[in-house]
Amino acid sequence: MTPFELLEPQTLPEALALLSDDDAGIRPIGGGTALMLMMKAAVLAPTRLVSLRGLQGTLGSIAMTADGALHLGGLASLSALEHSALVAQHAPVITRAMTHLSNVRVRNVATVGGALAHADPHMDLPPVLAALDARVQIAGPLGTRELTIDELISGYYETALKRNEIITGVQIPASAGRAAGRCAAYLKCTTRAADDWPALGVAVSFLYSNRTISDARVVIGAATDRPTRARAAEALLSQSMGDATTLQKAGDALAAEVQFTTDAQGSAAYKRQLARVHLGRAVNAALAQT
Amino acid sequence: MTVANRTIAFTLNGAPVSAAIGTHHTLLEVVRDTFGLNGARESCGQGLCGCCTLIVNGQSVSGCLYLAAFADGTDVRTVESMAVEGKLSSLQQAFIECGAFQCGFCTSGFLLMSEQLLAQNPNPSEAEIRNYLSGNLCRCATYPEVIRAVRLAASRPQER
Repeated sequence: MTPFELLEPQTLPEALALLSDDDAGIRPIGGGTALMLMMKAAVLAPTRLVSLRGLQGTLGSIAMTADGALHLGGLASLSALEHSALVAQHAPVITRAMTHLSNVRVRNVATVGGALAHADPHMDLPPVLAALDARVQIAGPLGTRELTIDELISGYYETALKRNEIITGVQIPASAGRAAGRCAAYLKCTTRAADDWPALGVAVSFLYSNRTISDARVVIGAATDRPTRARAAEALLSQSMGDATTLQKAGDALAAEVQFTTDAQGSAAYKRQLARVHLGRAVNAALAQT
Repeated sequence: MTVANRTIAFTLNGAPVSAAIGTHHTLLEVVRDTFGLNGARESCGQGLCGCCTLIVNGQSVSGCLYLAAFADGTDVRTVESMAVEGKLSSLQQAFIECGAFQCGFCTSGFLLMSEQLLAQNPNPSEAEIRNYLSGNLCRCATYPEVIRAVRLAASRPQER
């Protein structure tokens, strides 16, 4: 890695003041597990890194808000999510996903905000959060704003974040929580080792009552250039009983509507077939939680 | 190492130390090159293989992906801390008894990760061991022996 200036602010205003919308050489760093890879590969050679680790005390919390939303601090580590009783209660799909996300050492260091800002399409957390209707809270020099995951991640390693903005947290609304009757599951396929980058991630969530699915959300990751909603599949699942015929039709709709991408984890055709099959498995996994 | 531009102070295997580092140096580089502790090794360089495992403030990290500057003020442990006054820990002893290595390159990482697992879960199932150690690679493929060794050490908790 090439040398860089490393600054370690202790407050959010200090951190924001050290970033710049004009200078691509200045980057915030959270846990750094992703940035370190890019710097070691010489894909990224920043002149200044602004460490957000000093903000862990204020932006690292996991808590319920007054209106029943689950708040995940932007600097909360992935292992903090994994071991949080609140997360297990409100969004157990996250707890289950964490045990198969990368490995223990990376989870100990990597942060929620970093997992979103990095926007590598193979990451597990963005599709899971998208299926839970999560809102991303962003602070910048002019104030704060909120985006959905769909609005935040605009493409392959691309986000709507400005260079001088920081993800301060994520909120999963009460309506997407376990207590509201929402079932969810995340399945992924890795083609080599268990902790490899996936060829496919499928996140589903829906309400389930009177043996009927409603308000289904289906989000595909890894097989696409960004987390992608599959709205035709969602429409077929909603108001169905999640029976085998519906699952097959929804899988076919998903295969037809989503644009799959070829990469080292597999060809587009292979990923399309994985997705066609795994949608039904994911719905059944979510139904098994009822 | 060149371009040292700051000094960090931390605890290394129980002793207070300081080191002149560059902000772009990894903690693994500092532990090996400044302090000569060569148990942790850089193998994949991507956080996948676990050969560079270090313990920072009680949590395992990939030393190859961890900026040394972030270790300022922390408590750092390496595999060299496991044996006390020349006496191997029960986990190390179990690895020897089960032959849980061949070339030994990955062993320091497996030992530290297994120690973390047993601290959190004193009697793990085989599935739990496999999941916890899934981020450690052994190219000699001694995985069955590693799992046996962790279970053996778990059966002797009082010696740890």
